[in-house]
Amino acid sequence: MYKNLLAVYEGSMAAFHAIRAHAMRSTLTTLGIIIGVAAVIAVVAIMQGLTHSITKQLDDLGSDVVTITAHTNREDMLLGFENTLSYHDFESLKGKVEGLEDISVSMKAFSFGASVQYGRNVTQTQIIGTDSAYQRVIRIFPEAGRFLSESDDLRRRRVAFVGATIVKELNIEGNPVGEFISLNGEWFRIIGIAEKQGTLFGFDQDNYIIAPFGTLKSLSGEQVTRNVDIMYRPKRDADEEKIKQQISLILRKRHNLTEDDPDDFEFVSAERTKSQFKAITTSVTLVAGGVVGISLLVGGIGVMNIMLVSVTERTREIGTQKALGATPGFIMTQFLIEALVLSLFGGILGLLLGYGVAAMLALMIPGLSDTLVPAWAILLSLGFTTAIGVLFGLAPAMKAAKLNPIDALRYE
Amino acid sequence: MLAHQSARSSASTGANNAIISLRNIVKSYPCGEETFYALKDINLDISKNDYVAIVGPSGSGKSTLMNLLGCLDTPCAGKYLLANKAIEDLREAELAQLRNRSVGFIFQSFNLLPRATALTNVMQPLVYRFIPLKKRLAMATEALERVGLKNKTQHFPNQLSGGQRQRVAIARALVTQPDILLGDEPTGNLDSQTTQEVMSLFDELHNEGHTIVLITHEQEIADHCQRVIRLVDGQIHSDLRNH
Repeated sequence: MYKNLLAVYEGSMAAFHAIRAHAMRSTLTTLGIIIGVAAVIAVVAIMQGLTHSITKQLDDLGSDVVTITAHTNREDMLLGFENTLSYHDFESLKGKVEGLEDISVSMKAFSFGASVQYGRNVTQTQIIGTDSAYQRVIRIFPEAGRFLSESDDLRRRRVAFVGATIVKELNIEGNPVGEFISLNGEWFRIIGIAEKQGTLFGFDQDNYIIAPFGTLKSLSGEQVTRNVDIMYRPKRDADEEKIKQQISLILRKRHNLTEDDPDDFEFVSAERTKSQFKAITTSVTLVAGGVVGISLLVGGIGVMNIMLVSVTERTREIGTQKALGATPGFIMTQFLIEALVLSLFGGILGLLLGYGVAAMLALMIPGLSDTLVPAWAILLSLGFTTAIGVLFGLAPAMKAAKLNPIDALRYE
Repeated sequence: MLAHQSARSSASTGANNAIISLRNIVKSYPCGEETFYALKDINLDISKNDYVAIVGPSGSGKSTLMNLLGCLDTPCAGKYLLANKAIEDLREAELAQLRNRSVGFIFQSFNLLPRATALTNVMQPLVYRFIPLKKRLAMATEALERVGLKNKTQHFPNQLSGGQRQRVAIARALVTQPDILLGDEPTGNLDSQTTQEVMSLFDELHNEGHTIVLITHEQEIADHCQRVIRLVDGQIHSDLRNH
């Protein structure tokens, strides 16, 4: 064991000597590996960084929130049918489902958006009609003023809770709370400004106005059959499947669905978006990994080639070493380590280059604040380069070890 | 006839303290349909502190004999004892260890590692013996001092003259304290003055008790030695003592 370690040590020394003596050649040889590893690291860093930042945004959005929306299958849609969820559906669920922290309802008034006016400034936005529970379900907090209250809804007050973008777009100076704005010609008083959310997938999360459900319902002519979204936040540690079962049971009964009918509603959660996104990034990472694997293989062939050249070049030297008492095992170890050091050298350079490329791309891609290189990617690329060094160093090392000392000494 | 008698007599007299003992050694190579005999029925003893020159025209089997003596090759038939160890059945790795322990090679073209200093070159055989660096340094320095290159330890081979390079090579052969020093045309690449220097170094080493075997085709070198073995056509033609 001790002798093996020493052989490895002496082999490494000889290898470093040889690599330093041919610095240029060594670098060119390992270029394939350098590029391969750099590509792995850069791709993984970008994909991981993207996943990380999007997951984080989705978490901020409230990954616990589940939204129930009406679902119409393609055939019915082509026939002109459209399933809806009604306010009564919401009322039938409220207080009837176990395991909910809160449940709320929302509708998009003026489905194509509304124009908002303040003084002479006009902007387009989305108006959401909802109740006071919305704040607790979505976790939306006022920067100034307050959110809608229960009585706002009951008394159908004309009040509005607005996103930060609205304040900016309408150029409201001073304290916006208490100011009046016009929504499609109806006057509303601003009661609160929402905390800034930023953007998600490039969409502005602060361009909205929230008004009481009842107010908007009365303004649009009491159409209670109007399509609504129902959203709920499960209690911590609640069984989410059980909640969905309860809700399905109630809604299917209300909608008179038979056992063979599919659901005419669906559950949408950030969790699902997140897992879909993860599946995409995973497959992109795998494909990139495969491409990069091929480039590493090519790099390995480069290492083998230069090692074969090196063995031929140093035939006399190997003969001398053998005459002086180097065993075939020692020669084998020495050349194997040389190949290993060569490819690891490429691996480490590639790692640094990959980090650099990833950092540069992070600056260039908007919304990608930080890149992330997980430990497994580093270990995998270094492990892979090590394996390539051993694998492709084996043939040259065996060639060197098998040289007949007499022929090797005579080699010109 | 006389030559054969001489060979036999030295074989029988020197058997007890022989470092090298060859008995009925045959080395042959297949050559087309026929077999070419490089060495035929060689019997030879070399005792401790012998100073031997092996001479002969090219193709006489000098190099083959040297390869055998240096354990770089094994005979096809016959028995070879080096320091009382039979080499016929040794594996490649064991032969390497035996070379490292018992043989100090000196080559015609020095065969120094070009990228290593004189000191590192001399340490090289000790590496294969897994001697710790500190001890290796001390042994190599001492060997270089012995050949008069104390102030050239950090020089690379291309910074040294031919004579100095061969002295580094001799130091490398000496450093393992081998049973024999085996020189293959050690002065073949040197001019006459450096040849003299190197030969007087061999003379000194002989006087210190080393066993030296030199393969040469120069009479001048053979004259330095105590014993001259002449090979012709793979057989010992004569085995004479100079003094």
